[in-house]
Amino acid sequence: MRRFFSKHWYAWAMVAPVVVVLAVLILYPLGRGIYLSFTNTTEANQLSEICTKSITGTQSCEPNPDAAHFVGLDNYLHVLGGQVGEFWPWLAITLIWTVACVVFHYGLGLGLAVLLHRPMRLRNVYRVLLILPWAVPSFVSAFAWRFMFNEQFGLFNGVLKGLGLSPVAWFDNQWTALLTAVVTNVWLGVPFMMVSLLGGLQTIPSELYEAATIDGATPWQRFTNVTLPGLRPVSMTVVLLGTIWTFNMFSVIYLVTGGQPAGQTEILVTGAYRAAFEGIRNYALSATYGVLILSILLVFSVFYRRLLRRQGEVW
Amino acid sequence: MRIRTAGVVAAFALALVAAGCGGAEPAKTTDPKDLKAELTWWDTSDPKNEGPAFQELIAKFNQTYPNVKINYQSVPFGEAQNKFKTAAAAKSGAPDILRAEVAWVPEFASLGYLYSLDGSDLLADESAYVATPLSSNKFNGKTYGVPQVTDSLALLYNKKIFTDAGITSAPKTWADVKTAAATIKAKTGKDGLFINAGGYFLLPFIYGEGGDLVDPASKKIVVNSSADVDGIKIAQDLVNSGAAVKPPANDSYGTMMTLFKEQKVAMIINGPWEVNNIKTAPTFGGLDNLGVAAVPAGSKKAGAPVGGHNYVIWSGVPQEKTAAAIAFVKFMNSATSQAFIADKLGLLPTRKSAYDIASVKSNAIVSAFKPVVDAAVARPWIPEGGQFFGPLDAMATEVLVQGKDPKASLDAVANKYKTEVVPSYSAS
Amino acid sequence: MTAPVLAAPPATTPVSAPTAPPAVRRRSRGASVALHATLVLACVVALFPIVWVVLSSFKPGVWVNSSDLSLVKEPTLANYRYVLTQTRFPTWMLNSVMVAAATTVIGVILAATTGYALSRFNFPGRRSLLLVFLVTQMFPVAVLIVPIYVIMARLGLINTLASLVLAYLTIAVPFCAWMLKGFFDTVPTSLDEAAGMDGCGPFTTFWRVILPLARPGIAVTAFFNFLTAWGEVAYASAFIQTSNRFTLAYGMQQFVPRYNPQWEYLTASAVLVTIPAAVVFFFAQRHLVSGLTAGATKG
Repeated sequence: MRRFFSKHWYAWAMVAPVVVVLAVLILYPLGRGIYLSFTNTTEANQLSEICTKSITGTQSCEPNPDAAHFVGLDNYLHVLGGQVGEFWPWLAITLIWTVACVVFHYGLGLGLAVLLHRPMRLRNVYRVLLILPWAVPSFVSAFAWRFMFNEQFGLFNGVLKGLGLSPVAWFDNQWTALLTAVVTNVWLGVPFMMVSLLGGLQTIPSELYEAATIDGATPWQRFTNVTLPGLRPVSMTVVLLGTIWTFNMFSVIYLVTGGQPAGQTEILVTGAYRAAFEGIRNYALSATYGVLILSILLVFSVFYRRLLRRQGEVW
Repeated sequence: MRIRTAGVVAAFALALVAAGCGGAEPAKTTDPKDLKAELTWWDTSDPKNEGPAFQELIAKFNQTYPNVKINYQSVPFGEAQNKFKTAAAAKSGAPDILRAEVAWVPEFASLGYLYSLDGSDLLADESAYVATPLSSNKFNGKTYGVPQVTDSLALLYNKKIFTDAGITSAPKTWADVKTAAATIKAKTGKDGLFINAGGYFLLPFIYGEGGDLVDPASKKIVVNSSADVDGIKIAQDLVNSGAAVKPPANDSYGTMMTLFKEQKVAMIINGPWEVNNIKTAPTFGGLDNLGVAAVPAGSKKAGAPVGGHNYVIWSGVPQEKTAAAIAFVKFMNSATSQAFIADKLGLLPTRKSAYDIASVKSNAIVSAFKPVVDAAVARPWIPEGGQFFGPLDAMATEVLVQGKDPKASLDAVANKYKTEVVPSYSAS
Repeated sequence: MTAPVLAAPPATTPVSAPTAPPAVRRRSRGASVALHATLVLACVVALFPIVWVVLSSFKPGVWVNSSDLSLVKEPTLANYRYVLTQTRFPTWMLNSVMVAAATTVIGVILAATTGYALSRFNFPGRRSLLLVFLVTQMFPVAVLIVPIYVIMARLGLINTLASLVLAYLTIAVPFCAWMLKGFFDTVPTSLDEAAGMDGCGPFTTFWRVILPLARPGIAVTAFFNFLTAWGEVAYASAFIQTSNRFTLAYGMQQFVPRYNPQWEYLTASAVLVTIPAAVVFFFAQRHLVSGLTAGATKG
C-alpha cells in the first residue's frame, strides 16, 4: 500500500511542472474561452464602465450601456447558421485542405521512405538532403513559396514563360490558390512523415519479407501484405497527428495565400483569427470558433480511436 | 552688488509666484532641462525609408530637452493596431506615445485607451491645424490626438512615358485615362494604369460618382448604392478593356510599385508615402520623372480619401510623465519639425503655417500633393471605420481579378457591414 | 505487438545499419538508375526553394523584386551587410539563442520526466493527461494569444524572454512527452527492476539508467523544441514590445510589411537564420529516424 502511494507521489512529482504550466496557460484560457462563447463579450463592452481620461488630470466614467452579457447559444447559432462569418465555406475548404495535404504527406513520405530503405550508395546523402526542408523555419519557407508563385516575378511563371507557355495567375482562382498552399505545406511536412515511416520500416523484421518471397509473393504483394501492416502503428499515429496539425495550420494559409482570392481559401483557424483580431475584437466570436474547431477535432479523434480499436490496435 | 541683490530678490519673487501658481495640471517647468522622464514612442513609419528622419528629429528634441529619454520603437504598421490594443487592454506594455493611423483613433478613443487632449498645451493652437486631418482626432465631442501628417491618393505618373507617347497633360477623367492608356500602349508598348486590388484604392472611383461607404449622419449603409456600383463598374471596365493591368490577387501592391519603378506602367494611384521609395529606385530616373496630379474625376467629381497619421497618448501614462509626453509631441509636431519631415520624406504637414515655410513651399512633391489633399474627402470617423476595408478588399479582388458582377459583390459587402460591422445602421 | 518491440533497433545503433534486403536478388542496372533518378529528383524538389532563397540573398534588392529572373545578377554582400550592421540582427540572434536554448533544455527535461512517468507509472489521471496532451494541440493558437497575454501581463512577464519560453513549452512539450512515452515503452522494464534492486530510487533510475538509453528520443525532442522556439512568430509578435528583445523570427517580419516587402533582406536573414538550425539538425539527424519510430510505434 505504501509502495503504491510512494510510486504515485513520484509520478505526480514528475508530471507536476508540465501540468501546472499547461493548466495555467492552456486549460485556463480554454475554459475561459468556453465561457466567453456563451456571452457577447467584445473588446468594447467587456468593461462595466467606460472611463475617458483627460490629460489635464480629470477623468469621467460612465457605466457601459452595452455591457457584455450572457447570450446562451446565440453565437453558435449565428455562426452555424451562416449569419456571421462563413463557417461552412471555411469548413469545406479546411476539409479539402486537410485531406489533400495528409494524403500527399503520407503518400510521398511512404514512397520516399520505401526508396530510402533499400541499400544503395549515397543513401545517407539522400537522406540528409531530403530532410533539410525541415530545418528551415516554416515562415521563411512560406514566404519563399509565395514569392515563387508570384504572378509577375515568380520563379514558376518565369519557367513557364521560358518554355513558351502562358503564365498562370496562381492566386486569382480559388483552386489554384489552394494548390499553392497545399504544395507549400506538403513540401514542409513530407520530411517528418518520411523520417517516421522510414523508422517504422526498419522495425519490420526481414524474416517476414524472406518468408513472403519464398511463398512467391510479387513485390506489390510484399508491400501490401508485409510492409503496410507492419507500418500500421506508425502510420496511425502520424496520420492522426498530421491531420490535427494540418487542420490547425495557420501560418501556411495566412502567409502563402492570405485567404486570397477574396477570402476563398480561408480555413477555420484563419477565419477565427480574423474574427479575433480585425477591428473591434470579438472575443466571444473567436472563442466560439475555437470551441467549434476543438469539437470537430475531438469528434474526429474519438472516431479514429474507435477505428483503431476495431483493427486491433491498443491505443 | 546692488544689482546682484536685486537679481536675487527678483528670482526669489519669481519663485514665490511660480510656487503660488499651482493648478490641476502638473507644474509646467519653465526650464526644459528640468523635465525628466523616459518615454516610449511606437513609430509605424517605414523603418528603412522614413524612420531615420524621425530619429533625427528626436535627436533635435534632445538638444532642447536633454533629460527626456525617448525609446524609439519601430513597429510594423500592419501589427501596431493589434499590439496596442492588446497591451492597452492588459494595461501593460503599451507605449506612451503612438503614431496612430487616422482610422485607429476613434476606435482607440471609444475603448478608453487614449487621453483626451482638450485643455492641454497640445490643443492650445488647435486652429493652426488643417481642418480635415484634425477632424479625424475628434470622437464624441473630445479630441484625442494631433495630426502628424496627412495624405491622400493621387495619380502618380511617369513623365518620360507621357512624353514618349505624346501626352502633354495628366488625364482629368477616367474616360481620359482610358484613351491615354490606349495611346501609351500604341506608341510605347507600355501599360497605361495599374489599379491596386484593394478597397481603399477603389474609393476614388466610388467618390467620383458621388457615392460613399456609409452615411453616419443618417446611419445608413450606402456601399451598394447605384452611385457606388457605377464607380466600381468604371474600374472593372478599365481592367477589362486592357487600359489597366489586371492586378494579381496576392501582393498586388508590391507588384504595382515594382512595375511603376521599372517604368513598365505609366500611371498608378497611390499616395505620398511612396515618394521616397520611388526617388531611390535606380530604374525610375529620380524625382524629376515623377508627375503628380489629382485623381481623375468620375461623372460627379474627383475625390480621394483622406488618410494620415496622428500622435496619440496612451491613457495609461502616469500623470507625472504626461508633461514630458506633451512636450515631446509639441516639439515633433511644431511647424519647423513638420517642415523638416516634409523636406526629407515628402510627407505633407498638417499645420497651415508649415506651408508658408520657404523649404516647404519650394518642395516640388509637397506642392504637387497639396491641392490633392485640400480636395480630399473625409471618411466617417467612427470606431468601426477601419473594419470597412476587409470586405471591401474582398470585393476589389472579386471585381477586378475575377471579373464578378459589381452589384452582386457590393451587395455582399453591404450585407457584411450590416451583420458584422455596423449592425445598428440600416441597409439601403 | 511483441514482435516489433523485439526487432526495434537498440537505441544506440546508428540508423545507417540497414535491415537485410529481400532475398539475394541484385538490382538490375535499369532499376538502379531509376531509383537514383527518382531520389535525385526528390532532392531537387526538396532543395530548390532553399537554393532560390540563397541565390536571391546575393542579389541587390532591385533585382530580387523585379521581373528579371536570372539566377545570379550583380552578386553582392550588401544585403548581408545591411542585415548584420543596420538592423539589430545580432541582438535578435542572441535573444533567439537564449530562448531556444532555454526551451530546449527545459523542454527536454519536462518531456522526458513526464514521458517516463506516463510510461512506467499507472497513476490516477494518467489517461486524462494523455488526452489533455492531445487536446492542447487542437485549440487554435490565434484564440489563445490574447488570454495568454493577459496572464503574462498579470505575471509581469510581458516583454521578457521568459514569457516566450513558457509559451513555446506549451507548444512543444505535449507532443514530445507523448512521443517519449512511446519511446520509453520500448525500453524493457527489467532494467528499471534491476536498478531498483540495486537500490536506486525512481528518480535515480530515470536519470542514470533509462535516460541514457533514450538518446534518439531525446535528440528528436531537443530538435523539435529548438525548431519551435527558433521559428515561432505569433507569440513573439504578441509578447515582445521593444526591439532589444526581438527574436529572429519576429525581427525578420519587419522586412516583409504588408505593402513593401523587402525580399532581399528577408532572404539574407533567412540564410543566416537557417544555418544554426541546420547545424543543430545535423547533429540530431542521425537519431531522428530511430527516435521518431519507437515513439510512433507505441504512440
